[in-house]
Amino acid sequence: MTAAALSVREMSKSYNLWGRRSQFQTLKSALLGRELPPSAETSVVALRDISFEVARGESFGVIGRNGSGKSTLLKLVSGILKPTTGSIEVAGRISALIELGAGFHPEISGRENIFINGIMLGLTKREIEQRFSRIVEFAGIGDYLDQPVKTYSSGMYVRLGFSVAVHVDPDILLIDEVLAVGDEEFSQKCIAKLQELKFKGVTLLFVTHQLDHVRTLCDRALWLDDGEIAAIGDPVRVVDRYLQAVSGSEILEKTEPESPIVEERDEEPDSDIDNDLLEEERWGTGEVLLDRVLLVDAQGEQLIAVGSGTSITILMDVQVRKPQTDFVFGIGFYHADGTCVYGTNTDLEGLLSEELNGEARVKFIVPSLDLVGGAYRIDAAVHTRNGRAFDYRRGVLRFTVGSRVHDIGVYRPKHEWAFEGEVQLKRIDDPNRNLPAAMADYIKESETDADPSKYRKRRRRKKEPAKDSS
Amino acid sequence: MIRDLRNLFRHRQLIAILTSRDLKARYRGSVLGFFWSLANPLMLLFVYTLVFTRFFQRPDIPAYPLFLFSGILPWTFFSSSVIESTTAISGNAGLIKKVMFPAEALPLVVVFSHLAHFVLALPILIAAALISAIAGTSSMTISIVCVPLLMILQTALVAGIALSISSASVLFRDLRDLIVNLLQLGFFLTPIIYLLTAVDSRVIRFLLRLNPMTPFVTSYQNVFFFGSWPATLDLVLMTVYAVGSLLTGLVVFDRLRDSLAEAI
Repeated sequence: MTAAALSVREMSKSYNLWGRRSQFQTLKSALLGRELPPSAETSVVALRDISFEVARGESFGVIGRNGSGKSTLLKLVSGILKPTTGSIEVAGRISALIELGAGFHPEISGRENIFINGIMLGLTKREIEQRFSRIVEFAGIGDYLDQPVKTYSSGMYVRLGFSVAVHVDPDILLIDEVLAVGDEEFSQKCIAKLQELKFKGVTLLFVTHQLDHVRTLCDRALWLDDGEIAAIGDPVRVVDRYLQAVSGSEILEKTEPESPIVEERDEEPDSDIDNDLLEEERWGTGEVLLDRVLLVDAQGEQLIAVGSGTSITILMDVQVRKPQTDFVFGIGFYHADGTCVYGTNTDLEGLLSEELNGEARVKFIVPSLDLVGGAYRIDAAVHTRNGRAFDYRRGVLRFTVGSRVHDIGVYRPKHEWAFEGEVQLKRIDDPNRNLPAAMADYIKESETDADPSKYRKRRRRKKEPAKDSS
Repeated sequence: MIRDLRNLFRHRQLIAILTSRDLKARYRGSVLGFFWSLANPLMLLFVYTLVFTRFFQRPDIPAYPLFLFSGILPWTFFSSSVIESTTAISGNAGLIKKVMFPAEALPLVVVFSHLAHFVLALPILIAAALISAIAGTSSMTISIVCVPLLMILQTALVAGIALSISSASVLFRDLRDLIVNLLQLGFFLTPIIYLLTAVDSRVIRFLLRLNPMTPFVTSYQNVFFFGSWPATLDLVLMTVYAVGSLLTGLVVFDRLRDSLAEAI
């Protein structure tokens, strides 16, 4: 997260209105290389004075109402449109998913369309051959591979388009609203793929109306309102402010004095944790407050470091300023790198709110915390069912999970190894096995299937039945 | 300019694959498939032969069908490419607006797919010229080796015009109808159905040579009908027209490129 993958500086974009009278004028001025003076009658401003940066490897969400300029922003970044004033700098190979399957030709087969689409997205023929079986597998079009694309269902069409685009291996991937299409299963698959890309260090820039995706996938978010930046920063916070604006409620956050919300932290911060990254942020209307949020063990002792597999409880002391009937308690676990490990709330789990009148205590009990060793933080929140926050406390708790085994990932399912037959292993406890090496092995392993020869062979084998049909 | 050409070279795979898509999609689903590319010019030649040997006689030009055919094939390559290039970009709005796509590939795909049809029709022209030469109504010599050169120059000419027209017609929609009518006039201003040397007035001959297709058509006639080499003047004119057209096309396209995605 050092260098900027994308920096937009004081950029504005206005569209010319292409009236019939001005048509010839436009052609003439474009040919002569002169700028038509933008006047109020002939142009509309789509984006006004936008500046932001996206760091390398960051995933960045753009939200806003219809017509607020989100798609225009994405098209400007991708280079499809040119800014009227200001500049955009992009570092690295960029791939844009603005419409899935744009450029598919209905009359020709899926196989040929994969090649055409891949080349359009900037791959070479050889690169597509290397990725071919992965693309087909991910799209799940199987037997239809050699059928003309016009026979595909819209789901298959979209799956193939997404599959080609994500296998381009860009440095920066731009995505416009494409996660909304396809069925639930494929949508999950897409998100998993995006998380994988994120893990590999791809910079993601999304435009979406699905605020849940912004909350779970993005490191930062930008809210565009009528062509201007309304808010930028923490995704949960930006989404929340957006929701409040959309529902028309006032943002009490600003009128509420800061002091009653900020609370003295009684535990000492753990030295292992990077404080800058995990600083608590807090916002909401303040009608209901999470006064105290504590992490305790089974005996009620406060915890900072937790052994993997032990029992923990999150205690929330709730204070009510205005009685509520619509309220949801939520908890989110995050890894120090920002990955959402787990998130849930009472609404999702079928607990319908009835009354909240005074002081209360809410407990979230985890009998066995099966996390891999590392630093984590917890978000706690109380909000309405439609997501308007009463009190959102980001990173309210920070803790480390200690583990003797240097396994990787975030979740450690309960497991054991069993061996049968002619195989022998000896148990040694080797505390020197270090994490980076294991990680390196893992990464190497996952990249070995990029071996081109393997794919060419497989492709040739698949091609044979095609000859019979043609 | 150099950068533009280098860019085009960089996109050669894209242009190649889109051209083959175009050709494949055109005949996909039809029974005869690619055979139509051969059958169409063959039928055309058959009709000319029937009409001009049975119904109308042209005593001034022996083997008139061959003469007509050798001029009409390059003209068709030219005119269909130019007409189709008016919609090459505006007809692919989805690509221009939704994909990071080098727009200059589209008019070139049009040009190359028509070039492919021209190439597929060539064997028929060569066969007809050979039969006619054996029958003694026309002649055929080693000069046929300059056909590839003619084709390269003509492709450059057509590509340049297609680049200009495809981009300009996005901003100026009336261009399409204008072009269709101009081409109809252009057919008669090109010595396809008559001999350029049969035109009496020197002034008119000079004016006809300003038509960029004139030197090309007369050169193809020289090769396939008269069995002679293209005239030096024609070679010079062809080179000038081809290079001039390509450079103009690249400059115009470059100027208009940024406004395409918005205006489409």
